[in-house]
Amino acid sequence: MSIVKKIITFRPSFTVRILTGLISMLILLSVCTFIGLADQTRLNVRAAQFDSRAVEAGAKVYFDQCARCHGVNGEGVEGLGPALASEHFVGRIELVTDAMQQQSIRVIKPSERLKQIEWSGTLESYIESVTAAGLPVKTSNLWDVTHPTFSERFGGPLREDQIRDVTRFIINYGLDPLPNDQALLPPAPGEGMAPRPTPVPLTPAQEAGKQVYVAKGCTACHAIRGVGAQGAIGPNLNKIGAVAEERIASESYKTNLKDQPPATTGAEYIRQSILYPNAYVVAQCPQGPCPAGVMPQNYAQQLTPEELDNLVDYLNSLR
Amino acid sequence: MAIVGQKLVKQIQATGLKATMAQRLDDAFTRFTAGLSWNDVRGVLRGDPPAKPNPRVKPHTEGFWFHIRPTFYHEAVTTLYPTFRLGLLSALFFTFEIITGIFLMIFYTPSPTYAYGNMLDILTNVPFGKFVRDLHRLGAEAMVIIVTLHMVRTFVTGSYKKPRQFTWFTGVVLLVVTLFLSFSGYLLPWDQLAFWAVTIGTSMADAVPGIGPQLNLLLRGAPDIGAGGLLRFYLFHVVLFPLIGVIFVAVHYYKVVRFGISLPPEMEAIGEDTARKVPPEKRVNFLPDILTNELMYAGVAFAILAISCATWYSAPLEHHADPLVTPNHTVAPWYFYWLQGLLKIPHMIPLLPSGIAGEVDRFFANVFGLTPKVFWGVIVGPLMFALLFVLPYIDPNPSRRYGDRKVMLTFGALFAAAIIYLSLAGIPTGVPITGFGYVGGDPASEVGQAFIPDEGVGPVRRLPYEAYVVGKFDINAQPNTGSAGLDRLIRDIHNDMEARKARPDPLGKMLSADASGSLEVKQIQSNLRQIIITIDYTDVNGAPAQFKKYTFLHAGSGYAD
Ligand code: HEM
Repeated sequence: MSIVKKIITFRPSFTVRILTGLISMLILLSVCTFIGLADQTRLNVRAAQFDSRAVEAGAKVYFDQCARCHGVNGEGVEGLGPALASEHFVGRIELVTDAMQQQSIRVIKPSERLKQIEWSGTLESYIESVTAAGLPVKTSNLWDVTHPTFSERFGGPLREDQIRDVTRFIINYGLDPLPNDQALLPPAPGEGMAPRPTPVPLTPAQEAGKQVYVAKGCTACHAIRGVGAQGAIGPNLNKIGAVAEERIASESYKTNLKDQPPATTGAEYIRQSILYPNAYVVAQCPQGPCPAGVMPQNYAQQLTPEELDNLVDYLNSLR
Repeated sequence: MAIVGQKLVKQIQATGLKATMAQRLDDAFTRFTAGLSWNDVRGVLRGDPPAKPNPRVKPHTEGFWFHIRPTFYHEAVTTLYPTFRLGLLSALFFTFEIITGIFLMIFYTPSPTYAYGNMLDILTNVPFGKFVRDLHRLGAEAMVIIVTLHMVRTFVTGSYKKPRQFTWFTGVVLLVVTLFLSFSGYLLPWDQLAFWAVTIGTSMADAVPGIGPQLNLLLRGAPDIGAGGLLRFYLFHVVLFPLIGVIFVAVHYYKVVRFGISLPPEMEAIGEDTARKVPPEKRVNFLPDILTNELMYAGVAFAILAISCATWYSAPLEHHADPLVTPNHTVAPWYFYWLQGLLKIPHMIPLLPSGIAGEVDRFFANVFGLTPKVFWGVIVGPLMFALLFVLPYIDPNPSRRYGDRKVMLTFGALFAAAIIYLSLAGIPTGVPITGFGYVGGDPASEVGQAFIPDEGVGPVRRLPYEAYVVGKFDINAQPNTGSAGLDRLIRDIHNDMEARKARPDPLGKMLSADASGSLEVKQIQSNLRQIIITIDYTDVNGAPAQFKKYTFLHAGSGYAD
């Protein structure tokens, strides 16, 4: 009780008040001095940290929006978009940190692409402007689409800060770019204008299968060149006929297939993937790792046997 | 001019240059202090007894700043009890927030396009920027606590009773202003934390019967918070609430001086107020005793604040606000947890199966014709404040003595306990033991949220980049990745999953016993990795299900710092 009483009736003497006040002021001043002395270095360290976090945020935007046309590794996707991770496009950079911890990007090898198209600004301004505003004209027949506008300002889904982040992410490829021979390079200006080869005509059964593909809403999640909406939840099916054969030969298929007998032909693989989507889940989808259990599992009921046959026939023809 | 010059020359001739200069300087000094010469001030600071007649009263009659302070206090209120200096500290923090706030204003633009970038600039490009931001933020939160404690103390000592009813009333206005100041400032960084906390907060306005949508529109400037809402909150924060605050601090303080600080209850006869009748021998002069005391408190308080901001405290800044992505477990600022807890009451009556929660909702709809949000959020919440406002006018007991106020003090304690309990219920984890207020999704997604929270750092991002090893690791197996930190993380995830398998969460959900998981580390760029947690489990319908969550980690992002 007496200690409570002591606290309650606490009244510091005049000397204690003056001294405590002075000491507090001294502490306050030294904290400010301490902060002021190393402030520039600390600002630089923090700037580098937020720059790193911009790369992280940019990676998220890239996987959500860009990877389906430019590839999950920035290697490019045939018919959709050129490589962004290629040395041809990003050049080569390194990160340098000075004695004050200030970080900057040093260009070792500039982008060849910018020279090729005679862009007068920086790589950053080029990426930002194409991402934000798209390309107003089709530059080559190699691509099915012209570049979309991604900025909210032009009706797209991204805010300005997201465009800056994804730009920063793409520039970061320059630390270790893909060799040009492992990437899909864009044609030089004026090239690639030849009309596209006429596709092999579909048989009536395949044509019917294509109608099923569109009618059943597969386009919502899967992209096929030239067919309806360009879904990006599941894998791209541009060349699924050829890909199916690669899949059944892969080590991953042999070890990860669950509850189903292994397919022996591409057509069997496609049929299996439609009827039992969870039997084997592909590792990489346009927006990152493929989610299991997302694809509906009741196509056996939704499709008549004939529809299924036609659908498989159609998909298997895509090579 | 000529006359002044002649006088000066004469004085120099009479007393010499040095003495003249000293005398003139002292004159200027005396004018500045409104009546105290340098020697008087020196005496004050040395604690010398005053001369007679006491020159130290002069500033109180001559100058503005001292004129609004009393010349003396009763000795009995200069000890720590009864005031604990909480009113003084409230005023100091209010002033401190204005000063640090003006600094921050210089670097801030109230627009969704620039606000977040401005915050980054303040942190990375403005000298002392982070320090001042931390001071402003911590100061604001400290002020909420201090003002609340100040209210608690005036309640406990019965200082709201006659004649101080209106002092209390203006005090409650100041409490509301303090809360709204904090809350309106919360939005300005325009990060996810801010955006969603304020979205939840303002949705309360939307629930007001009849005029809800209009009120909401007035507050947000649009159906959802955007450029209009940010500008409005900025103006609330830097103009409206500070203005109301300054006016009410003035009225409040005028009343405090007018009635004097109430003496400890046991010193007075019941129903009597003797605070202003101070016998000469009980007087403690403002100069120097009270002033030095206050300066000491100011020094200590701000030194503690500065040390905190230089060491452990760092104001949060999450990802840029995104109206399309609601982060998991969004919460209001902590001083509104109680309101969030209040809103959960109908859904979360402890241990009731979820079907009955629906019944409770229907009961409210049928009996009161109100949704629970309207009832608890729009009616009960503000009613609690209304109760505070009218307290001095409805309390019939004239006695301030503790012994005579057992009922009121018990009621106050219950009120405080209820606020604390509701605040705990307002957090997603709910109240410990009873589980009241727990909100959680699927247990697998809760594992994801625990290790890779949507906002905030979390264990996965806290583990430094270098501690990760590229590869895919089974969470159920004994980890052997070659990195002690990664092994520990995998074991932590394993333990967390086991805990969720062993016992149900307060809503009765459990992770299926067969659940297994993996942690995968992928190299995306030479200094960027992706970390993916995958959990395979059996869902409530017995079907196999999978949960996936990932984050990116850059070598230099420094979350661990
Ligand atoms: C920004 C907020 C506030 C400021 C700056 C402030 C300032 C002050 C100051 C300087 C005093 C002198 C006595 C003391 O230090 O305890 C005081 C007294 C008082 N305050 Fe406040 N106050 C604030 C908020 C409140 C609140 C929220 C309440 C109650 C709801 C309140 C009720 C009172 C009462 C009743 C007194 C008279 C106490 C007495 O005479 O013993 N004040 N206030």
